[in-house]
Parts: sequence; structure tokens; C-alpha cells
Amino acid sequence: MNPALRHQLRHLDGAILALLDERARLLVQTNAADPLRRAAVDDILRRHNGPFPAAGVDDVFATIDRHCAAFSIEENT
Amino acid sequence: MILHLVPGTTEASVRELQESLEREGLRVLRSRERSRPILALAGKMPSALAESLAKSAHVERVTKPMGELLLVARAMRELPSVVDVGRVRVGGGTVVVIAGPCSVEGRERVLSVARQVRDAGAHLLRGGAFKPRTSPYQFQGFGVEGLRQLKDAGEAVGLPVVSEIMDAADVPAFRDHDIDCLQVGARNMQNFSLLKAIARAGKPVLLKRGLAATVDEWLHAAEYLAEGGCERILLCERGIRTYEKATRNTLDLTVLPLMREWTHLPILVDPAHAAGIARIIPPLSRAAIAAGADGVAVEVHENPAEARSDGPQALLPSELVHLVAESRVMAAVTGRRLHAPV
Repeated sequence: MNPALRHQLRHLDGAILALLDERARLLVQTNAADPLRRAAVDDILRRHNGPFPAAGVDDVFATIDRHCAAFSIEENT
Repeated sequence: MILHLVPGTTEASVRELQESLEREGLRVLRSRERSRPILALAGKMPSALAESLAKSAHVERVTKPMGELLLVARAMRELPSVVDVGRVRVGGGTVVVIAGPCSVEGRERVLSVARQVRDAGAHLLRGGAFKPRTSPYQFQGFGVEGLRQLKDAGEAVGLPVVSEIMDAADVPAFRDHDIDCLQVGARNMQNFSLLKAIARAGKPVLLKRGLAATVDEWLHAAEYLAEGGCERILLCERGIRTYEKATRNTLDLTVLPLMREWTHLPILVDPAHAAGIARIIPPLSRAAIAAGADGVAVEVHENPAEARSDGPQALLPSELVHLVAESRVMAAVTGRRLHAPV
């Protein structure tokens, strides 16, 4: 792989992780599950028009939600 | 000149060095840095003394800061400084949002905006009680009553408050109303008697950049505050006057990364006064955080068309919600964090 592209991918991965961490921090500030979460993900999927497969987007958010929920419960207990 | 002494240098050795320098006619200022003794020397340095200091066993490094900066110079701290304003910590890898009305316009209005500022996730409530207006016929602010209303609103929603002081004679009023942070506006940046007076007030100071001030002049104004005893200083870039007329001022983000090299003080950005146009404040805020700002200061009004000052640059509360969300994203992707809710 072109080293410059590899460098760009590493930066994107770092940014994705930083955003996931920030999301976890934000979530831990509240104990309550968000009843509008599913609607929010559906809205994201509706607006999504990039090359990442829609099913993959759904999976990614499901994984994020599962881990963030576990993290939130752990931090708040 | 700033001397970084070897970590672990005994207090007796530091004092001995300090006294010897004072005998040479130099004024010696000590950094609050705890990891090692750091001394700043003010006054004309004999060249022979400079050479001998560089060779001293106690001196690890000699730094010549920009101009005559000493206490606010980057070399005076190992790490950039963090300034506490109430329960809000500015600097140190977090990003804060300061928001509120340009002018305090009455008890109910400021309380209503304060609630929305807090609910949006902003960290400090701003509001002008003493207004420096271009025309004497424009709204001049409610004065001391405005301070009272702002502080009451801040306490009601749990946010520290920031307000501009224009006259040294008002320092007791700001102290009596426990205003958490005193703002020195652009027009007063080089009002040295005001700087000296508020330096002794024991409060954090937000020092805006003068509208025609160089960075050198701005930092030396901050040095006045530090030399006068103020240990909690925030700098705020708010746009400078240029030939460009499309915006109220020109937001000078180019200096931010350089200022990180010159000073340890936290640096905020006020895109509202730079732009003068509400709709371009969100992208300027994103740019400010991307350029390394420790926070942004914006104005919010429930009905900007009715604002008694600076309505065209006021965000709606709903726009502030979006700006805070974007600030969180920008902070994260630049390796920092949005400050936790207050």
C-alpha cells in the first residue's frame, strides 16, 4: 500500500477512536437509555449516501451502542 | 531572560542565586511551576553575567522570550497553564464554550438565556453590564444592576459568569457581586491603569485582543496583569481591523499556533465580534478549535432582531446547541475533549 494512504488510514482510525471515546464519555454522564436512539440511527441510515454498506452502518452502530451501554452501566455503578 | 534551574535544586541554592542576581540590579520573578525552579530576570543584563549564568551548575537552560515577556512567556511553565474559573477549568486539553447575551437586558431575559446556555452544554455564562459602545446614544448597559442580574442568573443555572469591566472604579462592584471572571474588552486592552487595578482583584481575567493590537502588544498587556499579581489570565482573539469590509473584523487564527510557542496562557476565540454575522460563526468556531483554541466565546439571544446590542452576530439558542455539538466533535478529532458539564 502507498505509505501516504496508509498514513491517512491511520489518522482516520485515530479520529474514529477519539470520537468513540468522546461518545462514551458523553453517554456516561447520563444513566438513562435514549428511547429515541433507534429513530436517530434510522435517520442516519436514511441520510447516508456514502460507499460504506448500509448493513455495515447498522452493525457498527449496534456494536457502538452495545459497548457504550456496558461501559455506561459499569461507570455509573 | 528565563532560567530553568536543574530539577531538585535546593531552595537555599535558588535563594542564593536570586539574591546574587538582585545585587546585580535585576528583578527576579519566580514561576509557579513546581516541577523545577524557574526564574525570570527583568532589567538590563550585563553580558558577563549572562555568560556566567549559562555556565552555572544550577542552570540547565537559558531562554530569551519574545520582547520583554516574562511571567506569561511559554518558558515560565513546563506545561501550558490551566485557569480555573469557578468549577470550569480552561486549558489543559479541554475545550470550553462561553455563551450568553451581548448585554444583560433584564432579569427575566438573562435568566431565560442562561437556562438555554446551560441546557445547550456551554460552560460559562457571559453578559455585558457595562457596554463600551461606539456611539454614546447606544445602549450603555444596566451597570451594577446588570451585574446583579447576570450573577443571579448564573447562580440559578449553576454557571460561572464573565462580564466586561471598563473602569477601575468598578472593581469593588465586580468583587461584591462575585463576578467569576473579569473581561477586559478590546478597546481597553492597553488601558494599563485598568489592567493594574484588576490584576489585584484576585479574579480570573479574560483579556481580549485590541482591535489594532499586535500579538506582541497583546501579550505584554497580559504581562501587566501577571506582574500586577493576576495568576489566572485567559487570552481571547476577537478579530482585528483590516481593510476587509465583508466582515466586522478579520479573525486572526493564524497567530494561534504561534502563540502556543510564546505563552503558556489559555487562548480563547470570539468569532462573533470578528464576524459580526451570526451565520458564519459556526464554521469560524470549528476553525478556531481546529487551530488549537481552548474554547470559543459566542453571543446568544432568543430574538436577535430585538437585541439591544450586537443582534446581527447573536446565535439563537437552537444554534448554540448545534455549535456545542460541533465543538465536541472538533475537540475530539484534535486530540482534546469538550469540558464536562458544569
